[in-house]
Amino acid sequence: MIATTATRVQAVDWRSPRSWPGAVIAEWRHSMRFRATVITLVATALTILVTCVIMGLVIRNDLFEARKDEALHNSRAAVAQAQRVLESGVAGDDRAALSSLWRQAQNELGRAASSKLIVGVVSEPLGDGYIPPGFNSQQFSPAQLSGELLTRVKDVPARQAWQSIALSHSDAPDSAGIVVGQILEIRGVARYEVYIAYDLADTDETLQFVQRTLWLAGLALVTLIAGILWLVLRSVSVPIIEAAETSARLASGDLGVRLRVHGADELASLGHSFNAMADSIEAQIKELAELSLVQQRFVSDVSHELRTPLTTIRLAAEMINDQKDQFDPTTARTAELLHTQVQRFETLLSDLLEISRYDAGSVQLEVEATSLAQLAEELVEQMRPLAETHGIELRMVAPGGYSPVDMDPRRVRRVLRNLIGNAIEHGEGQPVVVTVDSNQHAVAVGVRDFGMGMRPEDAEHVFDRFWRADPSRKRTIGGTGLGLSIALGDARLHGGTLQVWSELGVGSNFVLTIPRAGGEATGQGPIPLEPPETLADLGSVTQPIVVRRSDPEGGDRS
Amino acid sequence: MTSRILVVDDDTALAEMIGIVLRTEGFDVLFCADGAQAVDEWRSSRPDLVLLDLMLPGMDGIEICTRIRAESGVPIIMLTARTDTADVVRGLEVGADDYIVKPFNPKELVARIRTRLRPAPQATAEVLRVGDLTVDVDAHEVRRGSTPIALTPLEFQLLVALASKPQQVFSREMLLEQVWGYHYKADTRLVNVHVQRLRAKVELDPDNPRIVMTVRGVGYRAGSVS
Repeated sequence: MIATTATRVQAVDWRSPRSWPGAVIAEWRHSMRFRATVITLVATALTILVTCVIMGLVIRNDLFEARKDEALHNSRAAVAQAQRVLESGVAGDDRAALSSLWRQAQNELGRAASSKLIVGVVSEPLGDGYIPPGFNSQQFSPAQLSGELLTRVKDVPARQAWQSIALSHSDAPDSAGIVVGQILEIRGVARYEVYIAYDLADTDETLQFVQRTLWLAGLALVTLIAGILWLVLRSVSVPIIEAAETSARLASGDLGVRLRVHGADELASLGHSFNAMADSIEAQIKELAELSLVQQRFVSDVSHELRTPLTTIRLAAEMINDQKDQFDPTTARTAELLHTQVQRFETLLSDLLEISRYDAGSVQLEVEATSLAQLAEELVEQMRPLAETHGIELRMVAPGGYSPVDMDPRRVRRVLRNLIGNAIEHGEGQPVVVTVDSNQHAVAVGVRDFGMGMRPEDAEHVFDRFWRADPSRKRTIGGTGLGLSIALGDARLHGGTLQVWSELGVGSNFVLTIPRAGGEATGQGPIPLEPPETLADLGSVTQPIVVRRSDPEGGDRS
Repeated sequence: MTSRILVVDDDTALAEMIGIVLRTEGFDVLFCADGAQAVDEWRSSRPDLVLLDLMLPGMDGIEICTRIRAESGVPIIMLTARTDTADVVRGLEVGADDYIVKPFNPKELVARIRTRLRPAPQATAEVLRVGDLTVDVDAHEVRRGSTPIALTPLEFQLLVALASKPQQVFSREMLLEQVWGYHYKADTRLVNVHVQRLRAKVELDPDNPRIVMTVRGVGYRAGSVS
C-alpha cells in the first residue's frame, strides 16, 4: 500500500531554494541513477580537468619553444647577414663610408630579423678612430634589458643569449616577448651587442585559443558523458523501478500484476523469476482463499442445520423445565440443567454463526441515526437488575454524545451489553462506570470497572476467540468466549475501534469509538483509553450521574 | 373460542414439538409438512394463523406466503433459520406479518401468536379520518370515498395506530410495541416493510405519500385530514 513511496522520491517544491539541499540528499538516498550519475560525473570531471591542465601546460611549452627557436634562428640569420654586409664593405678611416656601411648593415639587420625591435649598443671599441654610434628602435631601448643578459652576451661572444621579457606598448597592455642578444663586429672598428626582441602576443593568443578550445571540449565531454550515462542507467534502472513498483503492488494485494519481459538479458531473467514467484503466490493465496471459503461455508451450514433440531430441543427443555415442580428433586435438577445448557448452547451457536458471517464478510450494517448517550442509558437501566444481583453499582456519565450519529443500534447495543456484562462479572463488587462523550470526529462509550483487571499481555488477547484470562475462574454470566471478538467485528464494521486498557489489581477500561458519518476514527478519541480517575477519585462522586434525556419527562430521574 | 393454527414445517419433530407447546396453551393445531400442499391445506382448513417455515420442500415459504396473501389477510408468522437481511425482508415484503428466528423459546412463540390473533383493543372513536380515507374501527373497514380498501389485520392495525393520534409522531419502536407487541428492541425493518405495503394499498401515489407520512430521523405520522 505505502511501499510504492519507498521507490519514489517525495515531491519537492523546486521553487523554494531552501528545500534544495534536502531534496538533493533525498534524491541521493532514493535514486540509484542519480547517485551513479553524480559519482561518475564528478570522477570524469576531475579526470578531464587534470588532462586539460596538463595539455595546456604542454602546449604552452611547445609553442614557446618553437617561437624561441624561430627567434634564435631569425636573429642569427639577421646578424649573419648584417655581418656579411659589414665584411663586404671597405673599411677605412673614411668616416662617411663607415657610417654608410653601418647604416647598410642596420637596414639589412632590420630586414632579415623580421622584427622591428632591434637595439645595438657599442660593446667594445677595437681601434681608436671613429666609432659609429649604437641604435635603437622606438619601442625598445637598452634600458629594458637585464644586466645578466648583457653580461652573458659580452662574456661569450660566439653564442646567442636569450631572455624572456615584458614588452611595453603605448597603445596596449604589456605583452610577453623574447629577446636575443648577439655580437656584431665592424672589423677593426668596434664590437656591438645587437639585441633583437620578438613579440609573443600572437603566440599568447594562439595559446589562449587552444586552451579555450580545450576547456570547452572538456566541458562538452563531461556533459556528453553525463547524458550518455543517464540514458544507459535509465535503461537499467527503469526496469528495476518497474520491478519495485510491481512487487509493491503485489504486496498490497494486487495479485494479478506481472512484469513485462523483453529480450533475454539479466533484467529479463529477473522479470521471469519475479513473474514465476507472483504466479506461485497467486496460486497459493487463491487456494487458501478457497479453503477458507469452504470452511466458512461449512461453519455457516452447520450452524444453520443445527438450528432446527436445537429449536425442538429447546422447546422440549422449556416444557420439561416448566413442569419440574412435579418431578422428584434429581429429575427436577436434571431438567433445570438441561434447560440452562440448551440456552448456553444456543448462545454459542448464534455467536458462532455471527463470527462465521464476519469471516465470510457477509455482514451488513443497518444504519440509523442514534443517540449513543440515550442508547447507553437505556441499556444501563436494563442491566441494573443484573448488576444489583452482583452487588455492583452501575454509574452513567455522559458529558456528550447526545446528538444522533449514524450507527447500527442493534450492534452497538450488543457490544455495549457485552462490555457491561463483562464489567459486572469482573467488577469485584466495585462500581462500574459507563461514560459517553463525543467530539467533532466521533462518539465513544467507555466501560470502566475497578475489578481485578488483567496483565497487559493478557489484555492483548481479550479479543481472541475463546480466550479466557484465567481458565480456572468461575463464570457466572456465562459468556461464550466469542462476545468480544464479535464486539470488535461490530466496531470495525462501523469504521470504529474497540480498545482495552487494563492493569492488574486496578481494573479495566473498554472504549468503543464510532466515527461520525463519512469520517474515520483518527487521532485522539472522545474518551481516553487510559482512564484518568482511580477508585479514590471516584469516591468523591457520591451520586451516580444520570443522563439528561432530550424529552422532558425523563429529566428528573435519578 | 380456540384458535386454529396451521404449522407448515417439514421437520416433523419440530412441528410436533410446536404442536405440543401450542396445544398446552389451548390452541388447535394443524400440520402440513409439504410446501406444495400447504396452500391447499390452508384453503380447506381456513386457520386463524399460519406458522410458516421458510425452507420447505416442494414450494418455498416465500411462494406460499405470496399465494396465501393473494387470497387472504390471515396472520402469517415466518419461522426462519436465518437472520440474513435478504430472506427476512423478502418474507416481509410478500406479506408475512412477523417472523421468529430459530431457535426460539415457547413463551416467545406463544406471545407472538397471541399478539397476532388478538389485536390490542383500540380505545378510540369508531370512525377515524386520515387524509382522504375513512377508517371504521369497529367494522374493520377502510374507505376512500365509497370505495373500500382491503387491508390485512396488521396493516389495519398499523393505520389505526397512526390515525388514532394524528398529532403524534410514532417512532419505529413505538409502533413495534403497539402493533407487534414487542416490549423490547426488535427489528425495525418490520415497520419499514409494512409501512411500504400499507402505502402501496392506501396511497394514491406511494412515492409521494399523503396518508402515512415519514418524519425524517424520527418515524411516521398520519397525514392531515383533507
